[in-house]
Amino acid sequence: MRKSHPVRRVVLATAATVSGVVLLLSLKPSSDPTAAAAGTAPQQAAGARQSPQGATRPAGAAGGTVTGDATQTQYGTVQVRLTVAGGKIAKAEAVQAPKGGLSDQKTAMAVPKLNQEAVAAQSAQIDAVSGATYTSNGYKKSLQSALDRMKSAAAPAPSASSPAASGARSGSGAAQARSVTVTGKVAQTQYGPVQVRITMSGGRITQASAVQAPKGGLSDQKTAMAVPKLNQEAVAAGTAHIDTVSGATYTSTGYRQSLQSALDQAGG
Amino acid sequence: MSTTLAGGRAARRQTMRRIRPRRSPAVPLLLAVWAGAAAVLWLWWHNTPSVADDTGRILNAGRITGLLAGYLMALVVLQMARVPALERRVGSDRVSRWHAMSGRYTLCLIVAHVFLTMWGYARQAGKSLNDIVQQTIDSINQLPDVGKAAIGTGLFVLIGLTSIGPVRRRMPYDTWYHVHLLTYAAVFLTYWHQLTTGNDFAVQPMAKTFWYGLYGTVTALVLWYRVLTPIRLNLKHRMRVEAVIEETPGIVSVLIGGRKLHRMGAEAGQFFRWRFLAPGMRFSSHPYSLSAAPRPDMLRITVKAIGDHSERLRELTPGTRVWAEGPYGAMTAQRRSRGKVLLVAGGVGITPMRALFETLPGAAGDITLLYRANTTQDLALWDELAKIADERGARLMYAVNSPEGERPDISAESLERKIPDIERHDVFMCGPAGFAQSVYEALRGAGVPARRIHHESFEM
Repeated sequence: MRKSHPVRRVVLATAATVSGVVLLLSLKPSSDPTAAAAGTAPQQAAGARQSPQGATRPAGAAGGTVTGDATQTQYGTVQVRLTVAGGKIAKAEAVQAPKGGLSDQKTAMAVPKLNQEAVAAQSAQIDAVSGATYTSNGYKKSLQSALDRMKSAAAPAPSASSPAASGARSGSGAAQARSVTVTGKVAQTQYGPVQVRITMSGGRITQASAVQAPKGGLSDQKTAMAVPKLNQEAVAAGTAHIDTVSGATYTSTGYRQSLQSALDQAGG
Repeated sequence: MSTTLAGGRAARRQTMRRIRPRRSPAVPLLLAVWAGAAAVLWLWWHNTPSVADDTGRILNAGRITGLLAGYLMALVVLQMARVPALERRVGSDRVSRWHAMSGRYTLCLIVAHVFLTMWGYARQAGKSLNDIVQQTIDSINQLPDVGKAAIGTGLFVLIGLTSIGPVRRRMPYDTWYHVHLLTYAAVFLTYWHQLTTGNDFAVQPMAKTFWYGLYGTVTALVLWYRVLTPIRLNLKHRMRVEAVIEETPGIVSVLIGGRKLHRMGAEAGQFFRWRFLAPGMRFSSHPYSLSAAPRPDMLRITVKAIGDHSERLRELTPGTRVWAEGPYGAMTAQRRSRGKVLLVAGGVGITPMRALFETLPGAAGDITLLYRANTTQDLALWDELAKIADERGARLMYAVNSPEGERPDISAESLERKIPDIERHDVFMCGPAGFAQSVYEALRGAGVPARRIHHESFEM
């Protein structure tokens, strides 16, 4: 039987908890360390302004970049970006790869190999890196979608006057000669990242698409419902002042943020 | 009228047992609890590559508090699952203090988790702290299982409010108890959102398995020890009130008959939670210590009429069915080390001491009982204590107020004078909180080490 000191105990418990949480949070890096570790460009690079030629004729002779679909794996998202030159893959890199704990090591080990293999094979028929099966499979899927995009962009656009944008499927048809494809920054939402890519032509948005949107469970439905509307709204409004799709508030907010950053890049 | 309940052969045999001190498993259990908490924090650490800005910090603080609250919530329920290792080895009193302490802490974590998460979401949506209420409503409407979790959180807050000292004291025990039972509903309601919206469980199948395992184990233990074990015990022993006897003014003994009662595993110093199936008493159970070593056909509890429930015990009629849960309590012979024993009883605290006095292993002269009461009339069970003292060669002392109402002197000096080798005794103590505190200080003053003072206290 000991004397109890309730006040002291409350103060101690509060102080210990608060300082523990603050310590844990401050020990975490503020930017993602694995983006560099994986040998990939940081995500902002994806949003960097791309050269007009490259963007308008990604699969053409001049080259450009094509980003594949973000593929979900058990350990995280994999997304491949190809630099195309002369109709061939000049460079492959992962803009997203699994992160955290063991995944960091695996990503660091597997991604450079997969990048090399992709360039060597010029197709998605590449070997899985042993010990990183999930990442390899995700990589292959994303690579395949990037290759599809590269080809589809090349096929319906034989003439230089129809600059279909990379990543965008529905071409807006006639467009001005100088159009620019810009990818906005990734906006984190409660349900997952949202990233918007727009094609600007003559100072107007001719196309908008989401290269990333929340996935999994309920999110799939919401994304399927909201993203097409948001794309339309963005094209119609020409600005980031678009209405929220009801039932998908977070996705809409993330979309607006990413759209705004894309517009900023295109404008500045 | 008073009774004399002789223990008979069984009790005499117990006095000859070898003394086998057993350690309380409290330390390894606490280590396991801390290890679990570390694992939960590691889960967050592992799944969080970076924390970007203030919004990220707020959201992640919300995640940490949420994970810890989810973990502790399972333990808070586990502490009340009446697991024998906790009730009989660590001690029911200590476990219920843990329960109260960790319950309060968990409630604080839940509140912090809700606040931080909603604030973080509001910031994410580009709103300020003032919109936190609207944000909460939106989240309840939009996120899976968060509506349920909100109801559960409301219940937790209600349970917390009714358990605040002054509120609880003003409330009938039964009301408080039944509100407290809502904990199970609250835990169930808040469980699901942890899995469906929790980041860490979405990406880590292992974490999900661990969480199912934790909550599944606790559920199984609650069902087994709070539901099935008592049913089996009562079907087997079929207890009924045999007689109610007034020992001294205000103190009654209830004799309870049944089948093979010595097979219930009860030891002297332990208690059962009793529920008498009589009108007005069947909905709540109360802990009362055995006041004699269990006999094959008879148990006895001795109770001071202080509350509603104990007042009604007087009116119990023979033949009333009794539902008992137990035995619980760790203040038994296993607590002592090899040496002499001093038992200190204050008032009706004599009940477990009476049973220990009869059965504690020890030779003549090893056992001493000090019995404090207001007057000699209040010395309940005195006759049988005298008889046991006689048979065992044990010392029996009493301390009562002087005829002028002056309190007897129980101090380090007086204890040392009466028991010269007191520092070599194990002390078992039972009595009101104030009395126990002053005796504890006197004993420490007389050189008894704290680890050899055994006391059960149900004060929170």
